[in-house]
Amino acid sequence: MEIFPALATVITDPTLLFAIVLASAVGMVVGATPGLTASAAIAMLLPITFYMSPLFALAFLYVIGKSGRYGGSVAAILFNTPGTAASAATQIDGYPLARAGKAGKAMKVATISSVIGDLMGDVMLVVGVGFIAAIALKLGPPETFAIYFAAFVVIGSVIGKSITKGLASALLGILVAMIGLDPISSEERFTFGSFELSNGIGLVPLMIGVFVLGEVFAQLEERQKSKDAIKENVTDPEGHSLSFDEYKPCIPHAVRGGFIGAGIGVLPGLGSAIAAFISYGEGKRRARNPEQWGNGALEGVAAPEAANNAVSGPSMAPLLTLGIPGSTIGAILLGVFLIHGIQVGPTLFLTDKELVYQLFACGMLGILAYGLIGFFGATQVARLILKVPTSVLYPLIFLTAFVAAYSARGSMFDVTVMTVAGFAGWLMRKFEFNVAAFVISFVLAKGAEETFRQALLMSDGGALIFVERPIAAAFILIGLAAMGFRIRSIMKERRIAEGGHGDA
Amino acid sequence: MKRRSFLGTMVAATALAATSTASLSADWPKRPINLVVPYKAGGGTDAYARAISAAAKGVLGVPVVVVNKPGSGGLNGANAVVGARPDGYTMMMTSGGSFLLSTMTRDTKIDALDSFEFVAQVGQLRTSLMVPMNSPYQTVQDVIDAAKANPGSLRWAHSGRGGFHHVGGLGFLAQNGIEAQDVPFKGGGPTRAALIGEQADFGFLGVQQLRGFEEQLRALAVNSEDRDTIMTDVPSFGELGIPFAAVSSPVIVFAPKGTPAEVVSAMEAALAEIAAKPEFAGLLAERGTGPVYAGGSDAKAGLAAMKADAAPLVQSLTN
Repeated sequence: MEIFPALATVITDPTLLFAIVLASAVGMVVGATPGLTASAAIAMLLPITFYMSPLFALAFLYVIGKSGRYGGSVAAILFNTPGTAASAATQIDGYPLARAGKAGKAMKVATISSVIGDLMGDVMLVVGVGFIAAIALKLGPPETFAIYFAAFVVIGSVIGKSITKGLASALLGILVAMIGLDPISSEERFTFGSFELSNGIGLVPLMIGVFVLGEVFAQLEERQKSKDAIKENVTDPEGHSLSFDEYKPCIPHAVRGGFIGAGIGVLPGLGSAIAAFISYGEGKRRARNPEQWGNGALEGVAAPEAANNAVSGPSMAPLLTLGIPGSTIGAILLGVFLIHGIQVGPTLFLTDKELVYQLFACGMLGILAYGLIGFFGATQVARLILKVPTSVLYPLIFLTAFVAAYSARGSMFDVTVMTVAGFAGWLMRKFEFNVAAFVISFVLAKGAEETFRQALLMSDGGALIFVERPIAAAFILIGLAAMGFRIRSIMKERRIAEGGHGDA
Repeated sequence: MKRRSFLGTMVAATALAATSTASLSADWPKRPINLVVPYKAGGGTDAYARAISAAAKGVLGVPVVVVNKPGSGGLNGANAVVGARPDGYTMMMTSGGSFLLSTMTRDTKIDALDSFEFVAQVGQLRTSLMVPMNSPYQTVQDVIDAAKANPGSLRWAHSGRGGFHHVGGLGFLAQNGIEAQDVPFKGGGPTRAALIGEQADFGFLGVQQLRGFEEQLRALAVNSEDRDTIMTDVPSFGELGIPFAAVSSPVIVFAPKGTPAEVVSAMEAALAEIAAKPEFAGLLAERGTGPVYAGGSDAKAGLAAMKADAAPLVQSLTN
């Protein structure tokens, strides 16, 4: 157990501890500010770290990455703006809670769940880093596609009342994801000769448009209809405190989310957004109160938040032993290792074992630091924000959406994308299409297509490759089984609904 | 008296203004220089840019800021720099081979040889033929024989169609009259992982990718006449007498067309000095790459020669 001496070393180094606390705070602020992302902050701070010692530099950036992922939940809950792609699932229940005056409660649930998930992920990393790397190597394109397939089934749980409209929304998401360069042949698709479109549609501007602008437009319309002021956020005197009894039902969801996130983290490239959506879908399927999910269930915040943070730890295993970054942050960390003359690869645990475990120790302390700051600090922020009347808040959110869309990549084209997505999101809401299904299938489609076609190129027998490889076959079966259960429960609901009508 | 001194000041000020306009380029550099890298942070070309930025201290007197503008196979960043003000404060560092190939295969107004000023070449990325450690193929000839015995049955991995690894691999197949199915992955890291995990029979990837993975992969040959200057253990196609296409990727610094000649030559001189620093070589050695310096005109000649070599391969790619 190399982690314990490493922890002792880190705890007894006051400057390092200070750096960890500072990094937690910086990460939270950038994560919570729409338009600033942890990866952008890390890229900006990278040159400074050239002049630091390797452990100091790596710990600083690693902790910013971790707390930034948590910070994204703050913006998702308060503004319905995902601060990071990973927190898009959090806003499904987080924002309704904030509108009901329970922002503080939601943020505390998000904090505790993030800490649980993140710690679970890190413990798995420390215990099984070699094992994780071995698994990651065995999973080729056919296995990865099978996992995407199982993840697609998750859409079923957010699909809502109209199955036709839900599927249409999902199809639209896939279609929009196709825009840009073909992942295999590198040819342009659906670009209509536009250079900007050859880059594809960015996830961040698309989400900001659909979720934030769409919501603002919907509010504008509401105001036109009824001459009264916009509905103010409800203030609930109990809304900021969280008792253990309230958190108790969230615990199984957080733990399950932790396992799902850690599992996804092993696979480079799937990413924390997918972990969050899968955890949300699974949580809702198993929940005792599925009808509350989507309208402000605390469990609906716990499940995705635990999952997206749990990705962080295990994703370090393929990064450090195979040199495959699972995220932008991972790619930058890889650069930092190399700049400081540490060769990433299977020999890393022989040559720089001490440094690696000290980095893991810093990560764990970072989790505790952002947990404490978040638990006691975030509520205060929530209180302040909710005092702002909606007639001031909405224009502010409107403005932030534009700044956020531009600053993510410094691209004016992204602002256009966001505006178009905003109108699309408003229309989709108006005609009761499913916005969540649209975004999830957009996120999943690219990777699913790429791995599907890679698998077919590898195969001598066409689609048989998915059956021939046992791990791939297992995940395909899981997906099919989940689909079967889902169809059965829908039929049951239908029958009950019809029966209800019969009585009336 | 008072008026005269006022006039004097006026004259002096005008003279000062005139000289400062004339010597605008002589003053260069006054501000930080933005070095655009059209790829994500963390890649091979990015490593060169970061090493230049770190080693530039004391040579240029101003910081060199690395700006990543990824997207569209490197054309996104190139488009941004081609339209930038040619004042010597915005330049681009790119993987010359991939840049050349993407301007040949994609629909773009940019011409790799004519749209920019060539400042200097500071490095060289080479592709190589690698197999997993447990592979039955011990030599390049084994791969060729296996492919000939069962045409089209082998699978080979590379980091994306149209890139120089892919075109280099196509050249190897075409020159030796063999067929194999390619499986593109996204970037060098995933390609290496796929090959280690035996998802393909062989792969074409940067020879520097072997560094640290000597126990997992076997590099059979580097795709050039002579051995790589850093990864000297890997034999070259040239010495093995196996035909190949001379496709590699010089790491080149470009300036927007119209940048004053004295600024371009000052930057060229500064890059020559930086590339000669042991600090620069040290930063790159960790990644299995090293400094390979060439002046602007030599870099241009090298890229023009590669264009001639790659043209027939690209033809087959776009049809």
